[in-house]
Amino acid sequence: MTVTLLSVILLILLFAFLGAGLWVALSLLGVGIAGMALFSNAPLGLVMATTMWGHSNNWALAALPLFIWMGEILFRSRLSEDMFAGLAPWMNRLPGQLLHVNVFACGIFAAVSGSSAATAATIGKLSIPELKQRGYPEKMVIGTLAGSATLGLLIPPSIILIVYGVATEQSIARLFVAGVLPGLMLVALFVGFLAVWSMLNRHRLPDESENVPFRERLRRSRRLIPVLLLILGVIGSIYAGLASPTDAAAVGVVLALILSWSSGSLTVQTFKDGLMGAMVTSCMIAFILAGASFLTVAMGFTGIPRTLAEWIGAMELSTFTLLAALTIFFVILGCFLDGISVVVLTASVIMPMVLEAGIDPLWFGIFLVIVVEMSQITPPVGFNLFVLQSLTGRDILSVAVAALPFFCLMIVAIVLIIVFPEIVTYLPGRM
Amino acid sequence: MRSILNTLYRAAGGLAALFIMAIAGLVFAQVGLNLADKISAAITGRGVGLTIPSYADFTGFFLAASTFLGLAYTLREGGHIRVTLITGHLPDRARRGTEIAVTAIALAMTAFATWYMVKLALESHEFGDKSPGMVSVPLWIPQIPVALGLAILSIALIDDLVDLLRGRPPSWEGKGENLLNE
Repeated sequence: MTVTLLSVILLILLFAFLGAGLWVALSLLGVGIAGMALFSNAPLGLVMATTMWGHSNNWALAALPLFIWMGEILFRSRLSEDMFAGLAPWMNRLPGQLLHVNVFACGIFAAVSGSSAATAATIGKLSIPELKQRGYPEKMVIGTLAGSATLGLLIPPSIILIVYGVATEQSIARLFVAGVLPGLMLVALFVGFLAVWSMLNRHRLPDESENVPFRERLRRSRRLIPVLLLILGVIGSIYAGLASPTDAAAVGVVLALILSWSSGSLTVQTFKDGLMGAMVTSCMIAFILAGASFLTVAMGFTGIPRTLAEWIGAMELSTFTLLAALTIFFVILGCFLDGISVVVLTASVIMPMVLEAGIDPLWFGIFLVIVVEMSQITPPVGFNLFVLQSLTGRDILSVAVAALPFFCLMIVAIVLIIVFPEIVTYLPGRM
Repeated sequence: MRSILNTLYRAAGGLAALFIMAIAGLVFAQVGLNLADKISAAITGRGVGLTIPSYADFTGFFLAASTFLGLAYTLREGGHIRVTLITGHLPDRARRGTEIAVTAIALAMTAFATWYMVKLALESHEFGDKSPGMVSVPLWIPQIPVALGLAILSIALIDDLVDLLRGRPPSWEGKGENLLNE
């Protein structure tokens, strides 16, 4: 059987499995089984068992449940309620005023929770009614939320970067550090866009003239400061080489427990809920990774990724063309699949091609995550869109239109990191 | 029968959660020891050199145990992600048929994986495979929870397949996207 025919069969099988609603982890496993059965005589079952075992007992991957647990603990503390009260006094004077609260609240919350949909839901639930009541245009409120909630994928500790790091055998610590500058750059792009938009549309914004004295501002945000310090501490200790991501995550869990205990929101029930929630999410992701690891090995037996890499290599595309093509491909794929599945599929099939083209895998990880962020706000499947749809009662299309400027800003970000790859590589290069 | 099965899923899920706590405890303890080491090195010029032997290996084993023991619980909580875009728009009967087919396929794959994971553990036992670290653990021991977790997932899938064939909704129905219904 030729490689082309086999690839087509496996691709159809993958979409059949996924489309029928077979769980993602098992769909990956199933395609791997089919690929190996059709294309090699290797002992299928044993290879599968060995791969799944070998890839799920992994020290680096242990950062995953810990960071998820840290997020679950903070999620159940009063963090989200403190966010609005704590950030609003600082934003009054910026053009765009309280719209910036969405950006920063999402940025902070996303850093903690690592989940884009959860961020949109949590921050949106508080800020949509508040901002509407103050008379901010709804379209901008929805757009800022949709766009900023995706920041969680990039700002460390990011769950999806752990997944990428484990799936492609890159250092998670370096990936985290590489995500810092691009994350800040996106925040700056969002804030800059809001400021310019507000100066052009001043009449559409309410007047926020309340001037809060500095000490009062500090008092109102006193409960946010420990969380900010926690995030900075986690990233800082990884950057300084004091701790591996797994170490930092364990310390993060303990500090999050202390924070939530001291704010009085830690009860036996919230502790249990948080732990079980973390277990379920981590189990889901680790199982997908186990399925993907077997798919990667099976793909190695079929030779598809190698052929694909040679094929692309023979076309002698410029890096820019290749990346543009990949961006479009990922955005389309992301319309139907969630971010983690996109990342693991990439690792299984596309990675050899990327390496063949001479692209730095560290840089590519950040690129991929920004593209996945974009796919979170494209219809028909964009998790942030679903969340905002249910929060605002608007149909998905108008939510998508509101998010469009932020989608474009992310394209700008992509172009910027392609033209200036140092934005990604500078910090990790100095570790 | 129902309550026995539910207890099984919950017990495995609880155990999975305990393993996550164990990971946090183990890694945090090691970080504490590292810190003590650094402080002692700064004060006396000599590190105490305390490490929990093979703690990285143990962390990995705990993680694998947690992941696989949690599988059935996560399935029933609707935690495993899937694409519902197409099936969600099918008429009821067609959706039911697809759900039965998908569950049957999932069961076949899980049973296959369970069989070979048990074989792997037996082989590790037979050949006396051990982990490489300072504290060398026979590998079949940490492989048992992995095989066990897959077996429990198979049971959970049989459980749901029976329910589906009897015309009842599966355990995960209406869960999973709870974020949207809060």
